[in-house]
Amino acid sequence: MMEGVRRAVAKFLKGGGVYEKAVDAFLRDLQRELIKADVNVKLVLSVTRSIRERALKEEPPPGVTRRDWMIKIVYEELVKLFGGEQEPQVEPPKTPWVILLVGVQGSGKTTTAGKLAYYYVRRGYKVGLVSSDTHRPGAYEQLKRLAEEAGAMFYGEKEGDPADIARRGLEELLQRGAEVVIVDTAGRHGHGEEAKLLEEMRAIASKVRPDEVALVIDASIGQKAMSLAERFHKSTPIGSIIITKMDGTARGGGALTAAAVTGARIKFIGTGETLSELEPFAPRRFVARILGMGDLESLLERI
Amino acid sequence: MFGRLREALNRASEHIARGIIDTLAYREIKPEDLQPLLDDILLDLVESDVALEAAEAIVAGVREELVGSRIRRGEPVERVVREALRKALLALLDPGPRPDLAGEARARCGGRPLVILFLGVNGTGKTTTIAKVAYMLRKAGVTPVIAAADTFRAGAQEQLAAHAEKIGVPIVRGRYGADPASVAYDAIKHAQSRGFCAVLVDTAGRMHVDSNLVEELRKIVRVSNPDYKILVVDSLTGNDAVEQARLFNEAVGVDGVIVTKVDADPKGGTLVSVAHAIRKPILYLGTGQGYEDLEPFDPQKTVNRLLE
Ligand SMILES: Nc1nc2c(ncn2[C@@H]2O[C@H](COP(=O)(O)OP(=O)(O)OP(=O)(O)O)[C@@H](O)[C@H]2O)c(=O)[nH]1
Ligand SMILES: Nc1nc2c(ncn2[C@@H]2O[C@H](COP(=O)(O)OP(=O)(O)OP(=O)(O)O)[C@@H](O)[C@H]2O)c(=O)[nH]1
Ligand SMILES: [Mg+2]
Ligand SMILES: [Mg+2]
Repeated sequence: MMEGVRRAVAKFLKGGGVYEKAVDAFLRDLQRELIKADVNVKLVLSVTRSIRERALKEEPPPGVTRRDWMIKIVYEELVKLFGGEQEPQVEPPKTPWVILLVGVQGSGKTTTAGKLAYYYVRRGYKVGLVSSDTHRPGAYEQLKRLAEEAGAMFYGEKEGDPADIARRGLEELLQRGAEVVIVDTAGRHGHGEEAKLLEEMRAIASKVRPDEVALVIDASIGQKAMSLAERFHKSTPIGSIIITKMDGTARGGGALTAAAVTGARIKFIGTGETLSELEPFAPRRFVARILGMGDLESLLERI
Repeated sequence: MFGRLREALNRASEHIARGIIDTLAYREIKPEDLQPLLDDILLDLVESDVALEAAEAIVAGVREELVGSRIRRGEPVERVVREALRKALLALLDPGPRPDLAGEARARCGGRPLVILFLGVNGTGKTTTIAKVAYMLRKAGVTPVIAAADTFRAGAQEQLAAHAEKIGVPIVRGRYGADPASVAYDAIKHAQSRGFCAVLVDTAGRMHVDSNLVEELRKIVRVSNPDYKILVVDSLTGNDAVEQARLFNEAVGVDGVIVTKVDADPKGGTLVSVAHAIRKPILYLGTGQGYEDLEPFDPQKTVNRLLE
């Protein structure tokens, strides 16, 4: 299933014919793969345009064929979209470190709060979780149980003003010695009746003053990713992105789009429902997945 | 004999005359008339979250229907294409009659209850949708029993119990870690012995490619023998909607679809992707987090939205 552009790359690298024509044919295949991966259509068009320009203009270094060089350009341009080749910094730069999780309903915020807690507990931090979701039934119990499983402290209230709850939670957990505090919030999309939920999110952010607002985004989200990420970003500037449900068949191009429009870095990916299934984001592997290629490494190493 | 010849001649000249009028009044649609329009349509569909695979199939269908067909001169090809597209989308989204769940449940009173099972990937809105359907059935006078057969996800039991209490419908719970199939079974027995006419079975979210969890789902289906297996899909889903629908349908057979979070303002392409993948009726749309936010699906409205 994940054949994707591998065939197109092979065809492009082996095929003869006019270079420019081959580039265009390859870019058409690439566009289809990116669209299938749910990268925003406009972004697809603009990134393939930049690739084309560079591919026709740049001279490869000695010893590298033009076609190999072209694949390198493709990779570079895609990596640029989510902020570069570097692995993200996941260690808190200072303590206490306060992370606020936001995102659309059901994207995986609460589960990810538990996973982050588990992740930082294992690295030796004292972690606290705050539940400020008063909207969804069972949200409190859900996070409470995850906190127990992760070995983290917990604070939550089932009713009341989410911003006040979050602030009280943060204060109490800091007093109890938490070094990393993760604040879970209710799901929201902010359209129509839910416009007021963006207000609520802003209020929470202004009361807890997070060091990092993380947008939790489902790998399967489609073209709506761009406008949703923009809305969130406008309300509470997004500092990082966590992609969930990468264990399914979705390729996660929507998350790539969200990274591109917010300028935020993708930090973690979720690969399952259990607490240990969270990994720091690896740009190369992700590009390979977006492209539907198993093995990008060997090609890149050759160039 | 002469008469017959004259008749034949008349017919022939009539035919020729009509041919001349026809070529003046009509023209044939050529592939090159269509291509730019179809290219635009393809992009529009994709931007509305119709999966690429589905969008290409729809566009190919329109092309096949129109190439070589004749239209009145002066009639813009664009209008003809849009009409054909509208028809194709409507046909896809409206594959036939949709069941009346409340009516069917009522007809079961006294016998084996109507069993409706909800399935789908993680976080699409299964549990919330069950609460909405329970609310709807209760309002229609057929209070269902809810089976909380998600014994896995943290808080799943409490979430559904809170809904059941608010709506005022009975719930059969399971212990965390318990066999979900047996929770469904208990709920059906409970309903039957107390004279309830419907059972709504909640299941844990699961990936369609997780073979253990898909096997578990098969077992729940085997044991509860549902009348309807309803796939719940998030309307924000992109291309993956095709994969989800296809694999769940292959694994357990899907009888109907509910698409949620439509209030998040998607264009509605996800519905097209699902319909293309499995050709099963879409029953309701979830339009919010309240119990009333469940709308009967109206294909016309969705198509209008898509073609806006
Ligand atoms: N397969 C898989 N499931 C996940 C992953 N992350 C979260 N989930 C599941 O996704 C579903 C929704 O997760 P939640 O954490 O409740 O989502 P949420 O964003 O807190 O939802 P709301 O609070 O209702 O907005 C649950 O079934 C989780 O177990 C992941 O990486 N992989
Ligand atoms: N805005 C909006 N939110 C919805 C809708 N349907 C469900 N939700 C929300 O989506 C989130 C997830 O819903 P659940 O019902 O828990 O989803 P689920 O499929 O049961 O999740 P798992 O059991 O974890 O797989 C909750 O916050 C719901 O309130 C809808 O139609 N509109
Ligand atoms: Mg939550
Ligand atoms: Mg559920």
